[in-house]
Amino acid sequence: MATRQAAVEAGGEAGSKGLKSGALGLVSTTVIGVASTAPAYSLAASLGLVTAAVGVHSPAIMLVAFLPMLFIAAAYYYLNRADPDCGTTFTWVTRAIGPKTGWLGGWGILMTDLVVMPSLSQIAGKYTFDLFGAHGVANGVFWVTVVGVLWIVVMTAICYVGIELSARTQVALLGSEIVILAVFAVVALIKVYANNPSGSIHPALTWFNPFVGSSGALAAGVLTAVFIYWGWDTAVTVNEECDDSARTPGVAAVLSTLILVGIYVIVTVAAQSFHGSDYLTKNSADVLGALGRDVFGSVFYKLLLLAVLTSASASTQTTILPAARSALSMAVHRAAPARFADISPRYLTPGFATVVFGAVSVVWYVGLTLISKNVLGDSILALGFGICFYYALTGYACVIYYRRHVLSSLKNLVLIGVAPLVGALMLTWAFLKSVFVYSNPANSSTGNSAYFKFIHFDFTVWHFHFYLKGLGPPLVIGVGLLIIGLPLMWLWRLGRPEFFEHARQTAETLDGPAPPLTPRTGSGV
Amino acid sequence: MAGDIILGYEGSRGSAAALRTAVAVARAFNATLVVACGYEVSPVGGEVADYAKVVQRLGEEKVAEGLAAARALDPTVTVEAVAVPERPVEALLSLAGQRQARCIVVGGNSERPLLGVILGSVPHKLLHRSTVPVLVVPAPEE
Repeated sequence: MATRQAAVEAGGEAGSKGLKSGALGLVSTTVIGVASTAPAYSLAASLGLVTAAVGVHSPAIMLVAFLPMLFIAAAYYYLNRADPDCGTTFTWVTRAIGPKTGWLGGWGILMTDLVVMPSLSQIAGKYTFDLFGAHGVANGVFWVTVVGVLWIVVMTAICYVGIELSARTQVALLGSEIVILAVFAVVALIKVYANNPSGSIHPALTWFNPFVGSSGALAAGVLTAVFIYWGWDTAVTVNEECDDSARTPGVAAVLSTLILVGIYVIVTVAAQSFHGSDYLTKNSADVLGALGRDVFGSVFYKLLLLAVLTSASASTQTTILPAARSALSMAVHRAAPARFADISPRYLTPGFATVVFGAVSVVWYVGLTLISKNVLGDSILALGFGICFYYALTGYACVIYYRRHVLSSLKNLVLIGVAPLVGALMLTWAFLKSVFVYSNPANSSTGNSAYFKFIHFDFTVWHFHFYLKGLGPPLVIGVGLLIIGLPLMWLWRLGRPEFFEHARQTAETLDGPAPPLTPRTGSGV
Repeated sequence: MAGDIILGYEGSRGSAAALRTAVAVARAFNATLVVACGYEVSPVGGEVADYAKVVQRLGEEKVAEGLAAARALDPTVTVEAVAVPERPVEALLSLAGQRQARCIVVGGNSERPLLGVILGSVPHKLLHRSTVPVLVVPAPEE
């Protein structure tokens, strides 16, 4: 049939337009990298939680948390070369470590995407009411939840139908988001020095020292802050051919890094100078809303709220799309029910997976609102566990998959050996340490009581103190959802064992694509 | 080839009507009929190799279906099937340019006009951007 050959011919003629794959320019690549992390929303959701963990040392945490993400980005970059599937961690870990661990990695991605949804909806609901001046409603639960649910429904529909903003619109939206955040930081700092707002403190060098508090606080801070960089690495390591494929991805990575780290550190410094770090902790559910009114006049305040909302919408999109695609990838490889690979014939999107993810998100969000006193705090902290889990797994997978090439050159040693391994170890440490931190209700700034109090121990080995009394909500959500994956995996394996018959692979070459991941029975893609 | 008739086909009722018209037009001009389907996956959110493959297979199935339907309608007309990995409008425009097509035939949005306004309508965009004539065929009323 002429189909494929003609398709190749026609595809070769593709010009440069929009975000079309194969023709991403420097600006677009950078924008996708930064927009995927949604700076305004990330700050609004996490700033108060970071100060809760480490007080005035939050700027240091913003810098420290970037390191593991940067290191894991190297793993993403090299694993994408071998296998550019949208299953990412799922397929990579299946190749490198084995199908069972790979399946759990895929489950980890899905659960992490699910856990972030309530926080996105919560921010969307709250800031929508703030935008219209209905601050009383914004502090209530019912109407915020209603708007939050609507938000999920609309964003799911947008992803189902496949509406995309043009590259130019995205650049404009992201540009204004960054400008508004920068203006916010500058105005706040000027007022700190000129007007001395109540509780204001002047920035000090010690803010940039992460090793002042306890290691538990550092781990908890990192666990919270990895979330703000979440998405940067996936977007920035896309191997598609850019206008100038040799230079663009690298330059875009550096640019988006500088923009991101810069804006996070500056806004953090400015925000905690303004009324002190305790004020951020107290207003953790609404940091930018609370500060914005004092820092800005009414017009800029509304612009700030708008920036948070557009940022949250970008973030919701880059949550639903990859979640649906991870499910699709698992279904294609027979690790999930085949229906999840169904493509909507009209919109060419993974329709079934998208709708299921949206529906489960709504149920999860409403359920969490009913049982949790602090939806936002619990979600962000629980999210940290999920991100640490599957990012660490990705780092280990990179080292294991490329183990024959690690020692072939200094560059390889650093980029596919040391960096992914150190990143994975850092995230593993933050994960384990945080389990203990958040199991102690005394460390919970969110005022939540612990569950399962019968799980209790308290002992010291050398100078390591092991303490556990019950499990806090972030722990129950974050680790609990990951653990549920175990029985589910065994169930799936009982019913459909084909996926679990894959043999492990190691990289033959450093640049070439990996051989297809095909089950012994049937034909995978 | 110069003078080809390009048919935008995606399996809907509208494109089935367009197919019948396109076969008639191709027969009248003694031209080759190209059954085309454009598809694209959004690169937002990371790599998409396996997703793109699933969508590509879907596109190929659609044009194969259109090809079979066209041949069944009139075996004397020469028909080709092309699945293009580009957005539908871009796909039809670039095919029309390459083949110096006589015209592009597509189904109308008559089934869901409002949806067309929200999502953007292929025939509408084609009418504005195409350099060759565009024939928009309404879906028959039930």
